[in-house]
Amino acid sequence: MKIYRLALFMLLILMITLSGCNQSEEDQESRLSLIKTTNPKPIKIPNKQNESIAKQVKKDVKKFDEIFDVAVVQGKKDTLVVYKVKHFQRFRMKQIESSVTKELEKKYPDEKFTVSSDYKIFMEALKIKEHMKDPKYSTTKAEKDFEKIIKLKNEQT
Amino acid sequence: MGKKQKKLTPQQQQYQQLEQKHEIPRPVVKNCLKAFFVGGLICLIGQAISYFYIAYFDFTEATAGNPTTATMVFISMLLTGFGVYDRIGQFGGAGSAVPVTGFGNAVISAAIEHRTEGFVLGVGGNMFKLAGSVILFGTFSAFVVALIKTVLIMWGVI
Repeated sequence: MKIYRLALFMLLILMITLSGCNQSEEDQESRLSLIKTTNPKPIKIPNKQNESIAKQVKKDVKKFDEIFDVAVVQGKKDTLVVYKVKHFQRFRMKQIESSVTKELEKKYPDEKFTVSSDYKIFMEALKIKEHMKDPKYSTTKAEKDFEKIIKLKNEQT
Repeated sequence: MGKKQKKLTPQQQQYQQLEQKHEIPRPVVKNCLKAFFVGGLICLIGQAISYFYIAYFDFTEATAGNPTTATMVFISMLLTGFGVYDRIGQFGGAGSAVPVTGFGNAVISAAIEHRTEGFVLGVGGNMFKLAGSVILFGTFSAFVVALIKTVLIMWGVI
């Protein structure tokens, strides 16, 4: 019995130390996006561009039957499109990604798209949206965070 | 079975019939169900750890697999050391051996078993008795697959 208690205690310590790392309240909503549909509004970082593209892109991607949640972030050069795929369609993830990319490139030949279905990228995109509510959050900072997401997306290992 | 039975002497055949009468039938369906649920539970914990790494660290879905595997192996090694994993293995059977946690168990249980023979020849020499073949097979098959992929790319097939 003693051994069981020791093992349980060790596990508890492990859980507490691991979950104690990050306690900030502000990213609550983005973290919740791991488990629920958030349907965020499309955002763009520099305010001068025409807004309609991000909105239109979101509408276009949402038309796919396999996709249920879409986030669009329009940066200076790139446009980030992140979506969640319905659970039983996740077997065809690659196919869906390529068809979304093709459709977008056909419709908006002048834009450069980064398409992803990764939960982490979705979370980070939401984080930018949350941070943008803060007036202190500058455009350059947003642009930097955006570049970071693109880099994270292309990471292999 | 039929051919083998013919070669047996009548006495042996008689014994076999007697043995079959008294042998407790193996609960295959029950064992399968147990393995299914224990294996599923282990995978559920792994998925939770994977989500934890995605939510709190800079890992994407594609890259979270490595730390998750490492954590699962580490936990199973600890549990093997405490003697808890043996019980799980007895209950869950293949359900506890097939996920990556079984790998940690194979390494540590072999190390514990040969502890009395010394650290170098005992623990060091026997630690990878079971798991070594897994590592070798994994590395070698990865090499072969990479070779095939390289050749296919060179030929322009993919």
